[in-house]
Amino acid sequence: MMDTILFGLTIGAILYLISIGLSLTFGTMKVINFAHGLVYALGVYFYISLLPRLGSFLPAVILSVALVIPVSYLIERLVVRRLYGQSIDYAIIATYAVLLIGTDAIKIVYGAVPYPLSAPIRGSFSFLGASLPIYRTLIVAAAVLVFLGLTLFFKKSMVGKVVTAALDDQEGVRCLGLRVEKYFSIIFMIGSGLAALGGILYAPISAAHPYMGFYILLMAFAVVIVGGMGNMKGTFIAAFALGLLISITGRIYSQAAEVMVFVAMALVLLFRPIEDSSH
Amino acid sequence: MVNENEVLITSKENATFARLSLDKGYARTLVELAVISIIMIIAARFFRMYRITDFMVFIIFVLSFDLLYGYMGHLSFGHMLYFGSGTYASAIFMNRVSGNPILGILAGILFAALLAIFLGALVMKTHGAAFALINMGFNQIGFFMVVSGLSAITRGDDGMAVFPDPLGSIHLGNERILFYVVLGSLLAVFYFLKRLTQSSFGIMIRSIHENENRVKFLGYNTYRYKIITFVISGAIAGFAGTLTTINYGFISPGFINPFYNVNPIFAILIGGAGNLYGAIIGGLVFKFLSEYIAIYVSTWELVLGIALLIMTFRFRTGIVGSVKTLFGKLLKERMGGGTK
Repeated sequence: MMDTILFGLTIGAILYLISIGLSLTFGTMKVINFAHGLVYALGVYFYISLLPRLGSFLPAVILSVALVIPVSYLIERLVVRRLYGQSIDYAIIATYAVLLIGTDAIKIVYGAVPYPLSAPIRGSFSFLGASLPIYRTLIVAAAVLVFLGLTLFFKKSMVGKVVTAALDDQEGVRCLGLRVEKYFSIIFMIGSGLAALGGILYAPISAAHPYMGFYILLMAFAVVIVGGMGNMKGTFIAAFALGLLISITGRIYSQAAEVMVFVAMALVLLFRPIEDSSH
Repeated sequence: MVNENEVLITSKENATFARLSLDKGYARTLVELAVISIIMIIAARFFRMYRITDFMVFIIFVLSFDLLYGYMGHLSFGHMLYFGSGTYASAIFMNRVSGNPILGILAGILFAALLAIFLGALVMKTHGAAFALINMGFNQIGFFMVVSGLSAITRGDDGMAVFPDPLGSIHLGNERILFYVVLGSLLAVFYFLKRLTQSSFGIMIRSIHENENRVKFLGYNTYRYKIITFVISGAIAGFAGTLTTINYGFISPGFINPFYNVNPIFAILIGGAGNLYGAIIGGLVFKFLSEYIAIYVSTWELVLGIALLIMTFRFRTGIVGSVKTLFGKLLKERMGGGTK
């Protein structure tokens, strides 16, 4: 039972890392960003390329995440920012197009075959036994650290304060003479970097394949809807709750595990209709 | 933002137009139906007939999506669910209950419509981004159900073959007969949607697109109209699905895969949203592109993505919209009603 819970927490941690960017992007820019699935997959493939060259885990992770950030800047600058304030449909379609292009580019460079990765913790014996795998515990710890870090960031730093204010009242912040776009762009890049990190951490548990972004996006959207769009604490709780839901359902009836996420999403909608301001 | 009375005025004008068009509209509608038939028959002479049958089925699907997205302004990323439930319901019905293709088609439409009633009541509480995503979530549930949850009935990833019985001497396996059956279906769906979108109901859903709150303030229950539209759209999508079952004679989870939701969206963007002609032209162009580019270019998704980006930034009104801008008022007067 303990390993089921840990597995649920691991999934929750990954879901949190991926969803927080989506949630913030939606809360600030009112954009549903399908390209988030691309940076998630891209991070993993950068990592696959870098790991043999650098030889060790941590530098490869840091460098891959660092490489994803300029890509996300380009996506934000060239696609998302040009669709500010317009019908949300165009943003959905345009970022979906970016996801399609990027996925095909990954297929061209790396091929469509799934790429298995081994867990990076040295002394692999420690997570093959019945005891708790260290690697997964570390993932959960990383997600909690990211949550604490982000909470601190939004409370203490200037960027964080501006964005927190903009989540609440964007016009008000604009009236103070602040260019919110600049701050949103930073948030966009942080969110993308975290998604890439989530992808890299999750890849050894599953496997890397070009369409991994599509699949995880659906889950992340469910997390964002359950947690509340733009709600940081809600996203954290929803991610772990849904992660546990997946692992516990998976133990009872494995085929229903992923479906349960969407059932939970439907139930949330039924009892708490979303009053999003999409215009 | 729209002017205070604009919705009302537009509605009145359209209502007048709808009434007038009843008198002189029949001749025009007949001409339109004839033009569509001629285009399809000519296309069938130059290309493989079963291909054009497939194209027409896709156009029916695009028309159903146009009602939801183009006319009512609700972008769904989960319309494949209704297409796929039509496919699977008709196939399972024909394999297990009765081989009669007409009953099979009716079963598929009925199932898709029931699903749309059930889920529509839920998803129509949302709009905008949440609407798009929730539909995608339900589509994903449907996909999982077909692949693993109900794999005892749906045969999971293997898919299944379907053998409809002949109707007396008419055998739908004959590609010529099927071509004309599907052409007739396309004309029927087109005619139905044309009448629907020009009726007061059509004005209502276009007003919801423009400004839902205003329609609510006028005292209308928009929720009800939205669900009805969703069910009609879902049922027509299911109809397209049942025709696919008969056309292919084999079904697989690809027909319910949420990944393909981008196809009708793209087709509508090509042709022009909120316009039945746009849906037909867009559906045809999309199918030609996807069939023939995919042969020469292995990276079809890349091409599709770039084209989508260009269209969202530079070419939003689609082919029909661009042609209309080109010919200005002259064409606008002629096309009237179904366009905005």
